[in-house]
Amino acid sequence: MSARYGMVIDLDRCTGCGACMVACAAENNVPPAHSRATARTGITPMLVRRLSNGTPGADAREAFIPITCMQCGHETPCVSVCPQQAVEVDKATGIVLQMPQRCLGCRYCMTACPYHARYFNWWDPQWPPGMEQTLNPGVSVRMRGVVEKCNLCHARYHAATEKAAGAGETQIDPLDYVPACVEACPTVAILFGDLADPSDPVSIAADSPDCFRLLAQIGTDPKIHYKTTQDWIRALADRNSLRSHSPEAQHV
Amino acid sequence: MRRNGLVFLVGFSIALIAGWAVFPRVLYVSRQQPLDFFHKTHAEKSGLTTCDSCHVLGSDGQFTGIPRNDICTACHTDKLGTSPSEALLVDNYLKQSRQPQWLIYSQQPANVWFSHAIHTKRAGLSCAACHGNYGESDQRKIYQQNRITGYSRDIWGHSISRLRRLPGDGMKMTDCENCHRRRHVEVGCLGCHQ
Amino acid sequence: MTFSRRDLFIGGAGIAAGIAFTPVPWKLLGDVSIWTQNWPWIPQPSRGPVESKRSVCTLCAAGCGIRVRMAAGWPVGISGVATNPITKGALCPLAFAAQQLNFHPQRLRAVRHRGRTASWNDAQAAFQKACQDGPLLIVDSRPGRAASSILQAFAATHSGDYRVLLGQDSQALAPYAAWNGVATSALGYDLENARTIVSFGVSLLDGWGTPGRFTRLWSEKAAGRSDPELRLMQIEPSLSRTAARAWRWTAIRPGSDAALAAGLAHVLIEEHLVNPHQLVPPQTSLIDAVAQTGLSAETIRALAHTMVQRRPVVALACGSDPTIAALNVVLGAVGTSGGVVLRSNSRVLEIPVEPSTKGYSAVLLDDTIPWGFDPQPNAEVFRFAAWDGGGNQGDWLLPAPGFLEALTDVPAAPALNAETYSIAQNLLPQPEQVKTPVQFLAQIDSTLPPVEKAIQARCQEIFHAKRGVVFGEQVVAVANFESTAKLEEQLRNGAVWVGEPRHPAPWKCALQQWPSATSPWHSADWSAAWDPVVLPPLATKLYQESDLREAPARSNT
Repeated sequence: MSARYGMVIDLDRCTGCGACMVACAAENNVPPAHSRATARTGITPMLVRRLSNGTPGADAREAFIPITCMQCGHETPCVSVCPQQAVEVDKATGIVLQMPQRCLGCRYCMTACPYHARYFNWWDPQWPPGMEQTLNPGVSVRMRGVVEKCNLCHARYHAATEKAAGAGETQIDPLDYVPACVEACPTVAILFGDLADPSDPVSIAADSPDCFRLLAQIGTDPKIHYKTTQDWIRALADRNSLRSHSPEAQHV
Repeated sequence: MRRNGLVFLVGFSIALIAGWAVFPRVLYVSRQQPLDFFHKTHAEKSGLTTCDSCHVLGSDGQFTGIPRNDICTACHTDKLGTSPSEALLVDNYLKQSRQPQWLIYSQQPANVWFSHAIHTKRAGLSCAACHGNYGESDQRKIYQQNRITGYSRDIWGHSISRLRRLPGDGMKMTDCENCHRRRHVEVGCLGCHQ
Repeated sequence: MTFSRRDLFIGGAGIAAGIAFTPVPWKLLGDVSIWTQNWPWIPQPSRGPVESKRSVCTLCAAGCGIRVRMAAGWPVGISGVATNPITKGALCPLAFAAQQLNFHPQRLRAVRHRGRTASWNDAQAAFQKACQDGPLLIVDSRPGRAASSILQAFAATHSGDYRVLLGQDSQALAPYAAWNGVATSALGYDLENARTIVSFGVSLLDGWGTPGRFTRLWSEKAAGRSDPELRLMQIEPSLSRTAARAWRWTAIRPGSDAALAAGLAHVLIEEHLVNPHQLVPPQTSLIDAVAQTGLSAETIRALAHTMVQRRPVVALACGSDPTIAALNVVLGAVGTSGGVVLRSNSRVLEIPVEPSTKGYSAVLLDDTIPWGFDPQPNAEVFRFAAWDGGGNQGDWLLPAPGFLEALTDVPAAPALNAETYSIAQNLLPQPEQVKTPVQFLAQIDSTLPPVEKAIQARCQEIFHAKRGVVFGEQVVAVANFESTAKLEEQLRNGAVWVGEPRHPAPWKCALQQWPSATSPWHSADWSAAWDPVVLPPLATKLYQESDLREAPARSNT
């Protein structure tokens, strides 16, 4: 039975600490920032953005929204444009899997992605001497000139399948496959699981009326849901497309 | 014209000879393992006749690959025999807690993910299906390294044309794909890559 | 037969044609493409057996339990421990990339004396001489460790002083300690039983205390609810992360916390919202509060009413401002469930260090001392540190073990409501050129016990007291352990001992008069809240490669 892994991210719980961002970068062997890297050119497969209702003074409201690859399920834009077939929707898991080894760096997918969830290696990844020994062996190191994005910690999925096979099981234990960001969140804001399984807590949570998806109207069927009881956040999500990294786009 | 044809043929033959006979010799350089190990001899002397006596698949699915010192020291806390290889192992490596830097014949690039647990336990493949009858060999297996890529000749296979290959001779991606196709096991790109 | 150029060309054509019928072009094409993927400067991860080990993060005093994934003996991934009763698996952002710290370019690997490389022998000789010339001062920022007791013993036997530099979270408890004659480290907040928390600018959800402790509590009891079980009332000039998530945010003018506390106490007493108390704020408190905070009297009254709607209520402050502590006394939140509680019997008084080190000839700074602590240069300063913070070099910079490189123990983190103890097992061998302060002093005084012995003694104490519970893979009461060794083994494998919370007993508060306010305290942002002098390189995700946070206010990241 194929799964559809997705998330429900509770924006009422996210405090914008950024633990998910660092945990993601550590798990995926993302290199330390080049000295010239900025918010536009850095590599942040998990990126927490700040939201504000724009009202000054005591009525000001602020929230944080973790943005990652939305794992589009329908007419996945990046898959359809890649000339190298370097990205595909995995049949077994529903994850949109990026293969940096095939990528030739045309960045067409970066243009196609409506959520700007793809990042380019502008510089050769470099670590201070010796630090490469602390790289995660489950994730390959990319080189300059390839695009990368969130793969829902596929290395952990690999480890879970291997563990299941070692134990003679055919299905993975859900507790063995927990992406780094989900594990890292100190307020348990990110719920992860199989959206294709109706009994999975994430499926049940995604059905809540408080849930919404970014740019749902363009029909990409993203598997990352957001949940909030605050109307101003929903209003902001409906109006803005979180287009660019410019500060202006973060406010109404 | 005949002369030209002859010259052409001479050139053609030179190319064929160079390409088929000289090129494989030149492309690969032989390297020595840190010490000699003969599977058959070791199996006879120790009574450990199955691959998984030393190449262990753990309960968490992890595979030891080339056994590390802790597996050797289970028996070789001191020299058990008289072979110079064993003396080298015990004195230079085990007693000094150094791992021999084995040259691995089936070494794959870092972007490859291969799970022995899935292939041996779940799919039921025998070790010989991919590695050949290496475990029954009492010959020294020369490690031939491709000068350009740095990988072992065993990945391409000993036959430069890749024809008439024995099982275990050749571990390129196409070999994996062929077996997957034969057995109708479909995995996506990141099913084998990482 | 003469060879001409034409022969060469035709022969060449023959060769070219022939090559196409050999494996050469195809093999070379494939091999060269593989070669292009293996540039020598592209780092490769370690290949080797992967195992999971447990230890404790030592980057700050919180001491969060960590699970470390090791590949070929190197730490390659860090995550929290879900069974840890305090952190519940949470960690701060830095911990996830902490394995990089040992290779940070600013890692100290050699003794330095005024900017130039020296040797341990030089340092030892200089230290012994300095100790002979005058009294010694040893400063420790994490008292209560096994190493701390050894430092204390050395100071005592070598006519020196042992002083403590408390972190910000501990300093907030200092007023209660002073009034009741207990050690600051014996106090904590019983947030787990509070129903209303009034936070005066404390970044509870962003860098305060032990990660996970309050964030999980808040997440379970308050997040997203309009009528939460736990009401977080944040009083702060600006909309911080905590204020943005709080149940109520009240904006006051900066520096008016103390005035507001006095005003609230005034309303609480005047309107009989609390039991009468001898401690009464000045009559003008409400008027002063209105003037200083910018809030109206109605707002302050409403605030006071809301505060006590759901009890127990406790007020938290950033620094050692005694007026907010006095507010807690008025609220009856001192020595009661849900308030400021006594968590241990410890009578060890930690004497805080003075800003000036006049009168001392030698000053030894433990490697837990924040880099910013800069004793006045009256004495020769021997600073232990694993990373170079830049700027003032001090006299002697002594390289200390880095992350997971030395065995140490972790006493209860500040502000917890119970005593805890865990052991941070070193998962990496200690590099040759580094020494812990205890190892350095042991070379001078060989009677000093090694840290292992002191840790063993502490485990023995816990074992013999037969109180508390050990949270490891299983939860086991101390009384059920067979021996100290078994208990120590559990703790070395990442378990944490949690003492029984003390039965709350109201304290006899010696405070007769409403205290006068100290200078205003500004709530710390994340960069000041975190101890480590350098950040893991991946921390740039948070500020340089995103707009999420301000860059930390340091010159040396």
